[in-house]
Amino acid sequence: MSFDGPFMIQLALGVVALLTALAVVAVREITRMAVALGVFLLSVAGLFLFYGASFLAAAEVFVYVGGVLVLMLFAIMLVQRTDAGRAALESRHDIGSASVAIGLFVMLTVALRGVSNRFQGSPAGSSVPELADVLMGSRLVQYEMAGLLLLVALVAVIVIAGGDEQ
Amino acid sequence: MMGVLVSVAVFCIGVYGVLTRRDIVGVLASVEVMLAGAMLALVAIASSADSATGVRPLAESIEAVGLLLLVIAASEAAVGLALLVSVARRRGVTRIDELQEVKG
Repeated sequence: MSFDGPFMIQLALGVVALLTALAVVAVREITRMAVALGVFLLSVAGLFLFYGASFLAAAEVFVYVGGVLVLMLFAIMLVQRTDAGRAALESRHDIGSASVAIGLFVMLTVALRGVSNRFQGSPAGSSVPELADVLMGSRLVQYEMAGLLLLVALVAVIVIAGGDEQ
Repeated sequence: MMGVLVSVAVFCIGVYGVLTRRDIVGVLASVEVMLAGAMLALVAIASSADSATGVRPLAESIEAVGLLLLVIAASEAAVGLALLVSVARRRGVTRIDELQEVKG
């Protein structure tokens, strides 16, 4: 393992992702959690960029940081009661949950060790025209299903959140 | 190897958050962390070449699969937040342990 430039970039992005993920789980103030989630998603987008998935990185920034995070902030504003500001976030840290998470980490690391040892080349980028060919070719059915899923989700959100106005 | 390790660690941090958080927003944020970890594992493994054969698996369509995962994650977040707003309006509750009616 050589400590060259790409490795250090990957290391830095990975450390930021891990620290901000921990902050999302552990922070008690709701706006700080949203900020931590935003930085976490940006670092994940940076890792996507590092692995050559540049379009996916851009989509992650647009959809998550620009869409889901803003949606989450709107939801927080809508549901916050007058006394909910200070005690809105509570965690119940216990040894059982920690042991489940650590056990899952060990299990997944052992299970994926063979796969990650096998695939170790340097990441190669892909181009947007190739992606368009795939989406409009071999993955056309999945692409249309994704569009249908978004439509159903949109209708469901309107029915669930806006159905009790009268 | 490091990308896979980071993604597994991020996924497990998300699992810990889902198990320990009591507020619905925190649980949803933890689920988003889990989904990001899964996508990261997919991209980290599929972007590298097989050291034995030199073939990159799913190389041409990995971004397409990632985009579809992104759509699923965005839909989940939107529906989850709509449920949060609806429950908070009708019952004034934002904590999951106060929602006892659906308990089996």
